Amino acid sequence: MLEAINLCKFYGSVMAVENVTFTLAPGQVLGYLGPNGSGKSTTVKMLAGLLQPTYGEVTYNHQNIHEDLIGFRKIVGYVPEEPNLYPHLTGEEYLDMVGTLRAMTPSRKSTRINSLMELFSLWPHRHITLGSYSKGMRQKILLIAALMDNPDVLILDEPLSGLDVTSVLIVKSLVQALSAKGKAVFYCSHILEVVEKVCSHLIVLRKGQVLAHGPTSAVREKIGKSSLEDVFLDLVEDVDITQIVNDIVRVVACP
Amino acid sequence: MISRTKRWLAERRRAFCRSPFGCLVELFLSRMFQGAGDAEAGELDLGVGVILILLAMPGLLVSLLMFEKYGSLIRFLRGERAFDPFKAAIPDEYLFIVLSVSVAGAAALWRWDSIFLDRRDYSNLVPLPLSLGAIFFANLCALLALTGVLTIAANGASVALFPIAVVGSRPSLALFLRFATGHAAAVFAASVFSFSAIFALAGGLTALVPPSAFRRVSLGIRFVLVVTLLILLATSFTVPDLLKRLSVSNAHRVAVLPPVSFLGVARTIWVGENDTFSFSMAGAALIAVGVSMLTATLAYAFSFRRSFIRLPELPDARPRTRISSLLPRLAVFEKLAFRSSTHRACSQFVSRSLWRSTAHLQTLLCFLAVGLVISAETFAAASYHFSARRNTVPPVEFLSIPFILGFCILVGIRFAFEIPLDLRANWVFRLWLDPDRHDARSVARRVLRAFSLYWMGPLVLLSTLVFWGWTTALLHTAIWCACMLVLVEILLIRFRKMPFTCPYPPFQSHAPLMAVGYLFGFYVFESWLPELDRWFVLSPINAVWIIALLGSVLAGLGWYRNQMLDMDKRLTFEDVSKNPFS
Repeated sequence: MLEAINLCKFYGSVMAVENVTFTLAPGQVLGYLGPNGSGKSTTVKMLAGLLQPTYGEVTYNHQNIHEDLIGFRKIVGYVPEEPNLYPHLTGEEYLDMVGTLRAMTPSRKSTRINSLMELFSLWPHRHITLGSYSKGMRQKILLIAALMDNPDVLILDEPLSGLDVTSVLIVKSLVQALSAKGKAVFYCSHILEVVEKVCSHLIVLRKGQVLAHGPTSAVREKIGKSSLEDVFLDLVEDVDITQIVNDIVRVVACP
Repeated sequence: MISRTKRWLAERRRAFCRSPFGCLVELFLSRMFQGAGDAEAGELDLGVGVILILLAMPGLLVSLLMFEKYGSLIRFLRGERAFDPFKAAIPDEYLFIVLSVSVAGAAALWRWDSIFLDRRDYSNLVPLPLSLGAIFFANLCALLALTGVLTIAANGASVALFPIAVVGSRPSLALFLRFATGHAAAVFAASVFSFSAIFALAGGLTALVPPSAFRRVSLGIRFVLVVTLLILLATSFTVPDLLKRLSVSNAHRVAVLPPVSFLGVARTIWVGENDTFSFSMAGAALIAVGVSMLTATLAYAFSFRRSFIRLPELPDARPRTRISSLLPRLAVFEKLAFRSSTHRACSQFVSRSLWRSTAHLQTLLCFLAVGLVISAETFAAASYHFSARRNTVPPVEFLSIPFILGFCILVGIRFAFEIPLDLRANWVFRLWLDPDRHDARSVARRVLRAFSLYWMGPLVLLSTLVFWGWTTALLHTAIWCACMLVLVEILLIRFRKMPFTCPYPPFQSHAPLMAVGYLFGFYVFESWLPELDRWFVLSPINAVWIIALLGSVLAGLGWYRNQMLDMDKRLTFEDVSKNPFS
């Protein structure tokens, strides 16, 4: 079980995340929602052990992850926000490198790489350098790299970014299938429809603070809205959407 | 036996690369050799083989030239009966050491950005089950391996060939081995020193300079280092002669130059400890190598702790400082200079890219450094004439300085125009520019002028005014400006691109001819035009001839443009993208 306990992060005097607390149990898909600059990526980095919280702690099975960071990372699959890969390596070479660095056995590694590349439709492009891959293909490589060592916890930061329609459908179903297999999934995204469909639990964040937390349906019922979009607007955006749209049209149309 | 050893070594290497640590070392090494490797983003991907050949080429060429110089038949024909290889080879040994320092230094400067771990390494490697210590030591091992490979590549040819050229015809194996050992020790130590010293500086900067100022400071330091390396290279024209006349034992005057210390290493191995000066120089050289390596390691450790570990805490980019008071005036200037808003937008893009892109600014600074070093040498010659003929016409050496600098800057910018800047972003020009109507030359022309004439012109005028008065200053500046304008037209004769938006031009069969053309152009600007300038300053009536000459060049260029087919004048993006998925 992955727990975030009173997580706070300051960049200098700027507070990015304040008192974020939640639990991610096996089999759970926790959606993490918030507008730009609300502290989502900072939380993701703290969960992955890339960033030390200023206050609070992240624990896995009641042990602070920083006490055995390498051990923790062995059971985590992480998909970062940006597919910032080594462009001089081919897709296959990159995955082989990740497998080696994860200390996977050569046979297990090669079986997984071949099968997953085939399933993600990357097999024909396995010998092409990542610099030539499209954004969606790089994203698939990141997903394979996160999944290939069968992690217990998946931390996904905008995993559908750049993917085509078929791949989006596959990944959405995959997340649910993995949670059914007992994996804990932390799913950070802007796309409300996907979060609504995929996540069993939800956290809504604004300016680093948790506004709502609980099972998705419960959050929706608590706010009294029919869709997650309405919930999000009600909680996070204190702006008049219609007014903004009208203003934009006025600016664009003015001579 | 050999094939078995090779097989065993290959197996060992494969086994090493299969371990997480070996995999990291291999990754860092490939990253250092190939940079970001993003051809679409404008990175020049040469491949390991080409890089090693480029590094080996200077040593190889100079070594081959030595066979002619030290051939026993040639020595016999010259009448050199008594030949002391250890004395005769001193100037050439100095040349090899300078080459070794310069090539290793240039390689370190070229890979300056790739030798330290960056944000990409952080996002790819740190989330994996690896300790930071493993990443630290793997990159350190890769750096040591890189130093070794660079050292061997830069000096391998000379270590093998130079001793053969000098003492190969002697019957004594001991003599050959002594000479070869001395040469190898000197050039290898020089390379390691050069690479480590530059690496230590880069590490120190990463650790000490705040990220917001790093790019500017780093560019400035690299520029100074290029100038220093060029000056060192230039000493190979004068110092060997000095060493020959004074002998190394009396070379205290040039002892401050690092290559002289490394020459001491070679001399100590060649003639023993009897030569106390060489012995002390050898000691200094070895201490310098040790200190530079230690400093480089400490700087790397410090930068890893200060910079790499803190990467997620640092923002990706900071807002640029804007000079707001200057903008309205520049806007007025731009409206006057450019007839259409398209030209204004393109020109702003080109100027800002040239100013902000590290790769392009680095290229321009390299050309500027070459110009500065040659100008400095010319200035040293001109300073003699200053005192001798203060109140007469300026000496040719003085007049040639702006010509040299102007030529180097203009050619540097023209060269930088060919370096792509993230080709994925050029869609905006493809979308908006009409290939049949857009005149790419006028944009390039104005940028070339803005980056050379507009700031150098006043400087040329002022510097001449201080020494030779208004008339000479105006005449000199006028002819300099005219020559620069003609050079701009020559450089853009077949130009039909939006700068920075096309991939690297493919190698063409006439490329060597163009290189010769540029050298000839440099010679014209360094020698002929200053002579012509002086002739004009002496008697302004000669302007008729100069105007006729420049006018005929312009007319010739105009005629050539008229002969060109319309399709050769059409705007191009040379669409040969390597990215099949873009």
